[in-house]
Amino acid sequence: MSLMNSILNYYRKVELFFGSLKFAVIIITLFALSLAYGTFMESYHGTEYANRLIYKSLPFMGLQFGMFLSILFATLIRLPPKKHLYGFYMIHAGLITVFLGSYVTYQSGVDGTITLTPNLPARQIQLGDDELRIQFPAKGKEVTVNLPFVPGPKDLGYSYQNIKLKTFLPFAEDKTDWVPVKIEDPMQTSSIYKLFNENFGETLTLTLHPLSDFNNTQQLGPLNVHYMPGSLVDCFATPSPDGLLVWNGENSTCMSPTEKNLKKTIRPDGKKLVEIDFDGRKLAFLPDVSPLPVNEKLELTESTPYRIFSKKLFEGKPHLFLFGKSAAFFDKSKNAWTAHKFEVGGSVPLPWMGFKVELKEHKNDAYPTMRPHYVKPVQENGQTIVGDMKAVEVEVEGQSFWVKSNDPVAFNIGGQRITFDLTKKNITLPYELVLDRFKMDNDPGTNNPASFESFVTLFKGNQGTSKHHIFMNNPLKHQSFTFYQASYFQTQEGPLGSVLSVNFDPGRFWKYLGSLLLVLGSIWHFVLRSKNQTKQEKAHV
Amino acid sequence: MYKPITILLLMILSMSASAQMKFCTDELDSYPVLAGGREKPLYVLASESVRFMTGENRVGDLSATEAFCKLSLKAFGMPTEIPVSIKVDHVDVRKLLGMKDGETSREVALLMPMVSRIESALSTQKENNSYKKELTKVRSRLSTYQAITEARAWVTPVKKDNKIEFVTLGEFLTEERLMAARSSGGNPVETLFKQAKADYLQAKGDGYLLELKYYQWNPFMWAMLATLLAIILFVVMKNKLPGTIFTVLSIGIQIAAMAMRVMISGRAPVTNMYETVMFSGFGALIISCIITLYRKEIAFVIAGLSFNVLALMMMKFANGMLDPGISPLVPVLRDNFWLSTHVTTVILSYAALALSWMLANSLLIRSRFQTVSSTDYRYQVGLIYTCIKFGVVLLATGVILGGVWADYSWGRFWGWDPKETWSLIVLLVYMAILHGKFTSWIPPQRFVPLVAAAFMSVMMAWFGVNYILASGLHSYGFSEGGAIFLGSFFLIQVLVLAVTTIKRTA
Repeated sequence: MSLMNSILNYYRKVELFFGSLKFAVIIITLFALSLAYGTFMESYHGTEYANRLIYKSLPFMGLQFGMFLSILFATLIRLPPKKHLYGFYMIHAGLITVFLGSYVTYQSGVDGTITLTPNLPARQIQLGDDELRIQFPAKGKEVTVNLPFVPGPKDLGYSYQNIKLKTFLPFAEDKTDWVPVKIEDPMQTSSIYKLFNENFGETLTLTLHPLSDFNNTQQLGPLNVHYMPGSLVDCFATPSPDGLLVWNGENSTCMSPTEKNLKKTIRPDGKKLVEIDFDGRKLAFLPDVSPLPVNEKLELTESTPYRIFSKKLFEGKPHLFLFGKSAAFFDKSKNAWTAHKFEVGGSVPLPWMGFKVELKEHKNDAYPTMRPHYVKPVQENGQTIVGDMKAVEVEVEGQSFWVKSNDPVAFNIGGQRITFDLTKKNITLPYELVLDRFKMDNDPGTNNPASFESFVTLFKGNQGTSKHHIFMNNPLKHQSFTFYQASYFQTQEGPLGSVLSVNFDPGRFWKYLGSLLLVLGSIWHFVLRSKNQTKQEKAHV
Repeated sequence: MYKPITILLLMILSMSASAQMKFCTDELDSYPVLAGGREKPLYVLASESVRFMTGENRVGDLSATEAFCKLSLKAFGMPTEIPVSIKVDHVDVRKLLGMKDGETSREVALLMPMVSRIESALSTQKENNSYKKELTKVRSRLSTYQAITEARAWVTPVKKDNKIEFVTLGEFLTEERLMAARSSGGNPVETLFKQAKADYLQAKGDGYLLELKYYQWNPFMWAMLATLLAIILFVVMKNKLPGTIFTVLSIGIQIAAMAMRVMISGRAPVTNMYETVMFSGFGALIISCIITLYRKEIAFVIAGLSFNVLALMMMKFANGMLDPGISPLVPVLRDNFWLSTHVTTVILSYAALALSWMLANSLLIRSRFQTVSSTDYRYQVGLIYTCIKFGVVLLATGVILGGVWADYSWGRFWGWDPKETWSLIVLLVYMAILHGKFTSWIPPQRFVPLVAAAFMSVMMAWFGVNYILASGLHSYGFSEGGAIFLGSFFLIQVLVLAVTTIKRTA
């Protein structure tokens, strides 16, 4: 009995605490502050980040549960029913019903999208959650790992056979990482430059290392940038009367044909023919045509390390040659090739539109590679413009690599092929939708859309087919699912495709019922009851 | 330019010098054009274009229509020199364009060569900050100027196969048409325009002219004057009848003006920031009148009139922030039932809460500078509480109606969209105050400043989401220039609170 009493006492304390007005004020204030914070996060970082950080996070759900407790116990401590509190009971019953309806939706509802390409059947609904699919095609097996709904990097600590899943990045951007090399090679240097003028700036990462994700050439509008071994700069700097440059790819040395007294002849078609000795045989080049040597039939061949360039080929259009800590280019105003040396942090003025090139980094002992790094996303007009990538770090037999969203990676382990695919969760509908036509009307004389309309055929298996017209505020309802016109896209073939949002909400009835109770209760409590009170007050006076 | 020499010659041959001068007159105000997806009088298009480019209603001595017409004729080689100065609001953009300190606009001829500089600056801006927005706007102003002077902006009706189609002025004033019109005698250019207008009126009627009357009559300015007079009469005179007459007059004018907007746009007048301000001012006045009928308390009407005049002043003077133009809606909002239920309910709730805010501030200031008896204080608190009750019930209803509309249109009841989230925050803020009012935490002395402060959450939901957060599905009301307004509002409110509550503490 005493145990029962103490339990009851304890319960009453809990009831009084959670049902108190002060607890209500605290929990409502905390809830409002969290929401306000969430809207700012959404504004800067996008909807998905705000959902991961606030709205669908565990602490926020705890706050909602606190609200639920406050509403529930505030009602319980005011029982048995009192006539003047009927409105109050109705409001609180409405709120409890809305909470329960929302919980049912959260647990059992479906909120996704279906992409309809014209005349192609579709039945896959894409959901918002991410998963990593590990497929073993030879065994016909697939392992699916649900990825956590978190705002920041998360250690997964998951392993399957000899595969380990290490870190999940929900928002990532590829950034440059330097990978150290064991043996330094002056022929495999890498540099980062900034090319800029008053209105424009672009960072260039260039490398000669074969394992790098970057290249040794890059094009920026009309400007071609070439990255070459440092030893070649002298050939560009030294004036060469014939404008030719012989390059030995084996030892990265260069020379002028005139300097070495190489045999030069002019062919009947006016093109230069240059001959050099290599391993006791003569190699012929047509430098005005190609840097590669030619055989007797004047066909190009790659069998030797020698190349001959005609610098004239690079005098017409803007070409910038970078050699690590040197730069060379043809200056039309001086009608001459010029070369400049510069250190890290230094810059060289270029003869095009006030551009300069600045050396930001230069390394012999490492090469640059691209690796996903976590970033806080940035949104603009509802689109994620920074951090629109997810990535999972995978380790297989001691070797780590990154699997990026929508970019499957295949890996061979002991002759067995394994693919990794980071993608969105899908569910399959028991029927198919085919987009017959997508129609978009514009406001007269403008490109502003006035309406989006999808004409679809629903294939219901044995139950036949039916035609439907889906447009804004006119969804299609079929077997508990509702399809709403959401967006559109341009297909490669030309016609427009349609994106429908797909929804199944088992909590809908309860949310509607709760809302109705809430509104009626508010009117009863705040307006009708006050009116009666006013009358009573007046009668009293 | 459209075969300028030929057409210019035709024009010169056809029109005397004075006739050329007289063609671009205000008589063109009622000429029908197609612009921004709607058919409207040229006056409206010209006024909107000139205001957008220059921030002014006229160009020098010329009316907007005259300037628009003369600029359009430049496309045909007419030697018209009109000094159009493009407005540049952002200090850093002014620097980029080489403008001097204090220079707020620059002649278009000086800005046109700088388009590439604007484009370059835009390409380097990753974040959508105010600088980037202003660059985009300046580029857009220059594009508008180009469209006018290349005769692309003026889209005129033309009868084809007994149907009215719309073509640009460049396509309209062809050599063929001018020659044909010339053969019929008279001034061919005028003949063409008169015929096009007559064809349009015959096919579509003169309903579009309602918009011309709406802008020319300027009904909201008259409503503002009537409201101001009503306030003065209520305060100055003991007899409440004159004040009541002007209140009714103001309500009548506002109803007529809103009815005109509804007839012009074909939808409920709550679809952009200008219209929400308009409707909230009107709603506050109506709610205050209704409460007065029950409570027999003139303070409500004065509070309603005060908020009404504030709203009307914003509509009149804050054109940089509130665009009075009528534009087609984005597809998802084209539903009059939900517009006229969800949006109007929310705006009416803001109006009721605005009344509580006005009464709270008035009580704070009065009790700071005058002696207010505790009975009077409690009575005033009761008035504020009444307004909040109306506001909270309307807001809860509006938020729920929004959820139902979202469920009906987008398939989810709640999506944490910033606008809906902030509406919920407002509801929570007032709920916290109402709950706290029954605890020792919020006695009447704290209740009043809290109510005054709580309206900042309404302003955040109403303006802040659009001007500061600027994202989400409710993007219909987004516009620039409101951040400063909102910041100033917050600052003034905080100052009022500081001044009035420091006294109490002291």
